[in-house]
Amino acid sequence: MKMKNIKNRLYLLLLPLLTIVACTEFDDTLPGQFTTDINVPGIQTGGGDDAVAPGDGLTGAYAQLRNAGTANHGGYFAVQGLPSDEMLIAAKGGDWFDGGILIQLHRHTYTPSHGFINGTWVQTYAAINAANELLAGSLDANQAAQVKALRAYFYWRLLDLYGRVKLITIPDTDAPQSSRQEVFNFVESELLAALGVTAITGSLDLSGSPLGSAKSEFRINRFAALGMLAKLYLNAEVYSGAPRYQEAAWAAGYVIDNGPYELCGQGCTVTNLGRRPGVASDPSSLEGYAAVFAPNNGGNPEHIFSVNYDEATGGGMNFSQMTLHYSSQFTWNLEAQPWNGYAAVEDFYNSYEDNDVRKAANFIAGPQLDFQGSAVLDYATDDDEIPLNFTPQINELEPNSLREAGARLGKFSFKQFGRPDMDNNFPIVRLGEIYLIRAEALARNGNDWSLALPDTNTIRARAGVSAYTSLNAEEFLEERGREMFQESSRRTDLIRFGKYGDIWWEKPVSEAFKTVFPIPFEQIQASDGSLTQNDGY
Amino acid sequence: MKNKYVKTLFLLLLFIGVVGSAQTVSGLVTSDDGPLPGATVIVKGTNNGTTADFDGNFTINAASDDVLVVSFVGFESQEIAIDGQDQITIFLAPDNELDEVVVTGYGSQKKKEITSAVAVVSEEEFNKGTINSATELLQGKVAGLSIYNRGGNPNGAPIIRLRGLSSIGSNIQPLVVIDGIVGGSLENLDPNDIESINVLKDGSAAAIYGTRGSSGVILVTTKKGKNKRTEFNYNGQFSTASPFDTVSVLSPEEFVAAGGTDLGSKTDWTQEVIRSTFTHIHNFSASGGHHDTTYRIAANLRDVEGILQNSGFEQFNARANFSSVAFNDRLRIDFNSSFTRRNQDNGFSEALRYAILYNPTAPIYGADSPFPFNSDQFGGYFESLGLFDAFNPVSIVNQNQNTGNRLEFNYGLNLNYRFSDSFSANFNLAQQESKFSNKIYYPTTSHFRGNATSPIRKGRADLFEEKNRFKLAELYGTYSDTFDQVDLSFTGGYSFQQFNAEGFFFSLQDFPDNSLDYINAIQASQDLNTDQNINAFSYLSPDERIIAFFGRLNLTIDEGIFVNASIRQEGSSKLGENNRWGTFTAFGAGVDLNRYLELNNVDLLKIRVGYGVTGSLPRDNGLFLDGRGISQNSPGGGFATSLTRVANPDLKWEEKGELNLGIEFATPRLSATLDLYNRDIKDFILLRTIEAIGGVDEQFQNAGNINTKGLELSVNYDIVDQDNLTYNAGVVLSSYESVLEDYILDREVRSNLGAPGQNSTPLVRVFKGEPIGQIWGPVFEGVQDGNPVFSDLNEDGVLKTDSGNALDDDVDFAVLGNGIPDLELGWTNQLTVGDWSFNAFFRAAFGHSLVNTFRAFYEPRLASQSSYNYVTTDLAVDGLTTARFSSLYVEKADFFKLDNATVNYSFDTSNWAGIDSLNLSLNGQNLFVISNYSGLDPEPSIQDAGAAGNGGEIDINNPDVLSPGIDRRTNYFASRTFTLGVNLKF
Repeated sequence: MKMKNIKNRLYLLLLPLLTIVACTEFDDTLPGQFTTDINVPGIQTGGGDDAVAPGDGLTGAYAQLRNAGTANHGGYFAVQGLPSDEMLIAAKGGDWFDGGILIQLHRHTYTPSHGFINGTWVQTYAAINAANELLAGSLDANQAAQVKALRAYFYWRLLDLYGRVKLITIPDTDAPQSSRQEVFNFVESELLAALGVTAITGSLDLSGSPLGSAKSEFRINRFAALGMLAKLYLNAEVYSGAPRYQEAAWAAGYVIDNGPYELCGQGCTVTNLGRRPGVASDPSSLEGYAAVFAPNNGGNPEHIFSVNYDEATGGGMNFSQMTLHYSSQFTWNLEAQPWNGYAAVEDFYNSYEDNDVRKAANFIAGPQLDFQGSAVLDYATDDDEIPLNFTPQINELEPNSLREAGARLGKFSFKQFGRPDMDNNFPIVRLGEIYLIRAEALARNGNDWSLALPDTNTIRARAGVSAYTSLNAEEFLEERGREMFQESSRRTDLIRFGKYGDIWWEKPVSEAFKTVFPIPFEQIQASDGSLTQNDGY
Repeated sequence: MKNKYVKTLFLLLLFIGVVGSAQTVSGLVTSDDGPLPGATVIVKGTNNGTTADFDGNFTINAASDDVLVVSFVGFESQEIAIDGQDQITIFLAPDNELDEVVVTGYGSQKKKEITSAVAVVSEEEFNKGTINSATELLQGKVAGLSIYNRGGNPNGAPIIRLRGLSSIGSNIQPLVVIDGIVGGSLENLDPNDIESINVLKDGSAAAIYGTRGSSGVILVTTKKGKNKRTEFNYNGQFSTASPFDTVSVLSPEEFVAAGGTDLGSKTDWTQEVIRSTFTHIHNFSASGGHHDTTYRIAANLRDVEGILQNSGFEQFNARANFSSVAFNDRLRIDFNSSFTRRNQDNGFSEALRYAILYNPTAPIYGADSPFPFNSDQFGGYFESLGLFDAFNPVSIVNQNQNTGNRLEFNYGLNLNYRFSDSFSANFNLAQQESKFSNKIYYPTTSHFRGNATSPIRKGRADLFEEKNRFKLAELYGTYSDTFDQVDLSFTGGYSFQQFNAEGFFFSLQDFPDNSLDYINAIQASQDLNTDQNINAFSYLSPDERIIAFFGRLNLTIDEGIFVNASIRQEGSSKLGENNRWGTFTAFGAGVDLNRYLELNNVDLLKIRVGYGVTGSLPRDNGLFLDGRGISQNSPGGGFATSLTRVANPDLKWEEKGELNLGIEFATPRLSATLDLYNRDIKDFILLRTIEAIGGVDEQFQNAGNINTKGLELSVNYDIVDQDNLTYNAGVVLSSYESVLEDYILDREVRSNLGAPGQNSTPLVRVFKGEPIGQIWGPVFEGVQDGNPVFSDLNEDGVLKTDSGNALDDDVDFAVLGNGIPDLELGWTNQLTVGDWSFNAFFRAAFGHSLVNTFRAFYEPRLASQSSYNYVTTDLAVDGLTTARFSSLYVEKADFFKLDNATVNYSFDTSNWAGIDSLNLSLNGQNLFVISNYSGLDPEPSIQDAGAAGNGGEIDINNPDVLSPGIDRRTNYFASRTFTLGVNLKF
């Protein structure tokens, strides 16, 4: 009964038992999760028009083009397209109001807490980080140049959207917020380095470039980097105040003159995968402009650098969902019901001549027919007409736009039996735009829009419309708009032409500071003072 | 463990020692429940004593004029003069409540010695009627314990909160301890097998359980065998339920008159998908004992129907409890095991939502359509095509299957060895194995998720399977002794817990037709032939371990002053090496003032104070390491990963410190307990927005504090206490407020209203320094041209009322209500008149608001969406044709309801051979509700599962706990249930 004895016994009895059950070991591994960077190159199986050396280990970096909102809702495509005069999402009664954020984009009343503006920032930096991680590893010179050029492209997006961003080049590091000029300089120097030159001149020698010169539509080669640089220089005056049109023209000219690319015109055809057997007017093949953006556009001669979308292995293009009416499911036998969101602004639609092949290629308008050629019916119609008919006219932006109002975005055309993710490759650099860059750069450099006529007419000829005999800035902008619809170009173009703040349908005059987006509220909040807001917001 | 205090008493008496003339006395210690093995028999005034053997028999040497003191835990001690007898039978009556022994962590204590907030709910106090889960027994019975199963889906798990939110990013469900084994599952426990439930409410009580006790601890004691004689018990319940209320919508005529698209038929969709149910529950048990062993075995069978067509479950549960003593009663072995098999038909509660919004002029079947409509594609059902988020509800419930089954097997072994009267050791070993599978099948003709409108990939079959395993080993010892006026008890031990989980999911589509059943459809899926179409994942958890050392000291000084202290050091595999171990301490002290004041007719006046620290762990494993997801599969088998989670090796325990002050007062007829608490939770483990520059914009960090202050009162009064008439009333009420004192962001808005059209429409604001649960939006003023007019609240002349501007400084938004009730109340009434007893339980909550999302979407008469039906309530505003979230849809949801009422009759079975007792009861649940809330169920919605549109699925496993107050369209309809109960003992 003595305390001491009891204590002794206590320990004696506890200790052996403890050694039986006692365990103080913890396992630090996570068998069910990936915790380190893995890039399995895979095996080249060949075949098919999308087959592209997947064995190079850069798959993950290029995949970021899809992840960064290039062709889906809520990211880069939305913030480039919706604030422009080419497309909108109207509030359709109970549908698509979404807290007013879509109308904010249309009317330029967006604020730093806009979800899409933050989402685009986050996605773009995720893409940059993937590039940074690859660059921190071991790459050969060509791969390093590709990844740096890709990263420069993403920084170009940030430069264009937000202006003042942090230039992060090493994983897990921070950097101060750079001025727009500094970001411009960085993008320029990275692209020049990838091209192996210190400046763009009229007599370029790219022999020192680690980038390839052969066609490689899903990997960056010299022509892709030059195209990006041409776009950068074209907008240099906006970004840095200093015009660089001559360099833009030289870079574009080099691509046109030396690149293995040609415009996809007559005779450049692909099978029409969207053809309905019951609709006689559906052609069996798509030719020219329409073929450039078709579901089977892999290997198109005009594509210099494209995002490789695939319905199964490369998801992220959702135009069919984003734009088509619920009942359009029966027109293309779509696997999933679309959302009835995006439509073209009526005035933009009307800027096309009726015989412009791009009008038919870029939009879906008029009465809709199904697979058998019968009218697509909408029993839930709000305009008393059960057959579905996309009217280019939109009755109102909000609150009660008719559900079938607005021509739909059809440039990246839909195939029969399509999945929610589409197959069409999305060009980042294509020859058609390169012509327009040279045209504009020459005109601006020479302060004479007639200098743009030859290249502009090249583009117009392919579109089946008559050549211009004279040209002014306004007409050129319209022409560029018609060609580049739905390619995330319009916002940048309007800004460059000083038109971004203008009035258009259901859009009042907007302030000059709106030409750069605000730094997202979340990022500023998380940055502990290292990010400051853009002027005006 | 229970013997601790007996031993103390025993020792006390030993010290006193008086010796009388010798005689051998033998006897039996017994009670209402049969013999009392282990009862202590002491010759008064001596250290001469013994304990009753397993049959309650004892033999002791004593003088013929001695007095025997007989005592047993839970019973009143008795003194019996020997008076020369050599055979004595001593009958012990149960103790009064204050000496009742209450199970606490790793041991038990007399109720009056407890210095923390512990609530005890015994079988008599449980909720009655059709009770399908152990938590339902407790609903409204414990002050501060909120249990809500909105709508009462029989397959839905209730949400349990003790004293509000205890964490944001971590585990928020209380720890369940069944018969001393931590980590038990209430799902594997039939309510019929439960004897009592104790709830450890405050930190000082729960700290001994460390992390897992951070959200409170529910200690369940199951029924055990007691008698030597085998006793059989049958409990049967037969019930019928019908919907308590439905959402009122326009009739077909009203719909057409309101401009709705007329499809020519008349259908009451809600009536088509709901039903009156029949449920029966049977519990059969046998209990008894033989030699040194007692046992109880029970079988439970439940066949439960839900008010939604084709929903319900069947469950079989068996439980066996064995107890045995050996080695001169020094070793006690308890072995409990249970087995559950449950087959559930989850049904599709989405049908309830689509029933409300579906066009009332649409026919059920395509054949009844007045215009040409090819319904073959949809299995004969009509489908309103071309409309977002509309599916024929009858087709949903009839064509699709959503079944699940769960198998669970548990065992727990407890060995208790008394080395001496003052020291004993316990060894717990337990294992729980469970397997869950869920099979969902949408045939090729189902428009709802079956892709029937598509020409390809029609039909879908999902299979999900999960296996969980939990292992527990614990060893602890208890030493108790008495010095002068001080009773001391010390417990110390070690605990090892390991969880493992693994599972897989896959989804296949594209079946040839509907002729295949589920399993054949899987094999015939064309997805197997089509590149990349199969959606599958599998997962495996690491060995998720908790290892802990703990100790506790209890002191009782002068039988009136009580001191308890505990410490637990715990390590977890969920944290990195830098901060793996946490130390959690608790201290409590109490004094029974009545012992010193000796107030008239007062049994107890105790003041107690307790402070305890507990910790919480993150929900996920491995947050201290980077996480990566597959970013790209490429043709040819390559793939790449990209960063999805940034490691935080410094992540540490979330810490909860709670101060509890309690006053307990008891007279023979009245008892009351008041608890006041102040709780600070620091270092939440939260996904924090970080700068996106590193590729990921979120990281788990310790960030944020919540302070909760609350009050809980429970009062119980025997208003009438006569032989043939008793009336007892009890009230529990609780109130608390949680303020987010620090957070990852200064301002944030959460919880999207959802599609159609109200995405990017947050409903709740979370601002630093504010109470949680603030519903946030514009204030409705009136209608103009069909559009709502909102107030210019800041009077700056600019109306800024779009939800997309919710965080702007100059937004014209106001706090429109709060989702958390100010006051929750339970009111019990128990009346017995002779053989009749009546029980009425009222439950109420006040001060909370709900966002009525049905109204927010479907009440405005949207001109452009004339194919949804319209919800009609008294709150509808004429002429409103635009749906915009505002104060119009936020409603006060105070309610007072008769939750449960029972009439019970006990037959006099004294002349019935072989029958011990027979009771018949009639019970009604949810009999009436007084509330101004226009929706289906005014019960608070204390967390949010999010929106789901167009046939989408919600993720119920990741609710948003910072967004209370949203009555989503996915909620089940509340029902009213009548139950006939039979209880027979023989």
